[in-house]
Amino acid sequence: MYKSFALIGLTLTLFGVTESAFAATQNFTLYINAGTLPITGNGGATLNVWGYGTTAVPVVPAPQLTVNEGDTVNITVINNHNINHNFIIKNVTTDTSAIAAGASKNYSFTAPAAGSYVYSDTLDSNVNREMGLYGAMIVKPTDGSQTAWIGGPAYDHENVWVVSEMDKPRWNDIAAAGFVVDTATYKPNYFMINGLGGFDAMMDMDTMIMGTLNTKSLVRIVNAGQFSHSLHFHGNHFQVLSINGVRQPTPFEQWDTINVPPMSTAEVLYSINQTGHYPMHVHTAQAEGANGVYLNGAATMIDMQ
Amino acid sequence: MKKLTQAIILGALGLGAQHVHAATISKSLCVGSLSKTLYGTSTTGKSVTFWGYSDCGGGGMGGMGGGTATVPGPIMEIGVNDTLNISFSPMGMMTMEGAPYNGHTIHLHGADVQTMEDGVPETNGNMVMGDTYTWTPSAGHEGSYMYHCHVHTVKHLEMGMYSAIIVRPKNASGAFLNQLNANTTTAYDYSQNYILSTVDPAYHTASGDSVVFADYNPSYFLMTGKEGKSTAAPAMTLAAAKGKKVAFRLVGLHSTNATFQIKNGSGVAQPFTVYIRDGRTLPTAKTVTSLDLSPGQRADLITTLPTTSSTWYPQITYKKLRANTDGTYPAYATVYGKVTF
Ligand SMILES: [Cu+2]
Ligand SMILES: [Cu+2]
Repeated sequence: MYKSFALIGLTLTLFGVTESAFAATQNFTLYINAGTLPITGNGGATLNVWGYGTTAVPVVPAPQLTVNEGDTVNITVINNHNINHNFIIKNVTTDTSAIAAGASKNYSFTAPAAGSYVYSDTLDSNVNREMGLYGAMIVKPTDGSQTAWIGGPAYDHENVWVVSEMDKPRWNDIAAAGFVVDTATYKPNYFMINGLGGFDAMMDMDTMIMGTLNTKSLVRIVNAGQFSHSLHFHGNHFQVLSINGVRQPTPFEQWDTINVPPMSTAEVLYSINQTGHYPMHVHTAQAEGANGVYLNGAATMIDMQ
Repeated sequence: MKKLTQAIILGALGLGAQHVHAATISKSLCVGSLSKTLYGTSTTGKSVTFWGYSDCGGGGMGGMGGGTATVPGPIMEIGVNDTLNISFSPMGMMTMEGAPYNGHTIHLHGADVQTMEDGVPETNGNMVMGDTYTWTPSAGHEGSYMYHCHVHTVKHLEMGMYSAIIVRPKNASGAFLNQLNANTTTAYDYSQNYILSTVDPAYHTASGDSVVFADYNPSYFLMTGKEGKSTAAPAMTLAAAKGKKVAFRLVGLHSTNATFQIKNGSGVAQPFTVYIRDGRTLPTAKTVTSLDLSPGQRADLITTLPTTSSTWYPQITYKKLRANTDGTYPAYATVYGKVTF
């Protein structure tokens, strides 16, 4: 009896070690369409957007693609919008060619090293991306562990924050109406985490850092906007695990504010070491508001229980 | 009330006397208005109204003339294990917005204090018409911090309600050590606090939920409250002896990108070593010739002056948040300091 249990254990261990040999195939289909993004609360508005979605209704940010290191990933992108678009996972895929209106394209690759990646439409001088065509791809370690990477720091909870901005009058309204955006001028008046203004993001269970004492949250920050965003965490410092896919040497540096430049990523580990209720917000003046209304911008809450 | 509770608990546990050289530093802060004449790229000055913190511990009356408000506000220095107690009285109608953004607070940025000490009015236990704040930084938390108002931050921080708190190591008899942390490799001979801030005058006249706050167009760029637009008119000066070590504490209260460099008279960037960021000693000190500092960040660094007399120009270049297509950030302006040795 004992022997057979041991045998099962051994078999499982073997599977664990060699799992990459059994890497899964992950298939995704994304549809590009025009749609809307409502920012609720004071200062809010309904923004005209273009986005990727798993249905005909686009979402901003685009669906999170979660795969394991070494998986075979097949992504079909169907452009049901009326202009050219493309699909690039930064540092992963290389085909920048356009998908014509009504056409589709397949992208196949082996999932890269565990970490956080940003994908977007790179056409038309950032207009397509600004309109909402961006999202995160998260690659998990093959061993199924709750670690940032195999042998890397462990975590209990995970947050993915896609940070972005939109210039409603000068970009979204113009592009949605089919006119040409003057890309020299960009004065974004909406700032979001996961497509939410602060009033929503401060109550959104997926966006908020929530945990009990002595637990750790891995926060994956993806800046899909065109502004640098300097994120300040109240309540505790965090460990800087990776910047733009570059794993940092240990012991990790501890900061309370991290600057994430446009189209880059950062991964930080936030430990719940006291109880309390704290904000996390971008520290630049205008990024804290929705069209100037305070706290409906790039902000969320840290709930330490 | 909260301080009293803490004192009682510490007393009951017999911990109150554990750190024999730990001091209690009591500060009374108020708020006042002031104006600065700023030039930017213009030759004619413009008067901009600020709100600043003042030290009103000398018997002043709660902002109605208590102390002289400055931008940045009083820089507070405390030792590791010291307890900083701030009593804050933000009275004065000249320095207040209407509801819901009336009143002010003090946020101890980077101190990681309890929620009720954090100065965020949207969270529990933080009063906007007067409050107390306490913080006891632990060993290992030496470095630069900042404090600023957290009411309608988009306006109140911009109005000038900010300054620095410097946490310093102490020796066995409780005197400050001239080193960045407990490690003697961080010893310095001189130190300078470079507080970065930017000014969009439109934010100074707008209030409430104004669309003005959706778009930041800074036209004045400060180093510790002053425009130092050229090496001939630096914002900060230091006369040092050659061959000595100078510590710079960078405190990011600006709302743009920024890069710090130290250049010699020929414009060549000089090396410096960053030991602390955001109040935490780096596991590996970094020697560089350029350091980006984003809004909310701090850095504590040391440079060694040459053994021959000369002049160096530590400087902050403020840059836009949006990159050029080549990935560089267009500069707004450079603000200069000056070190002669
Ligand atoms: Cu205030
Ligand atoms: Cu702050």
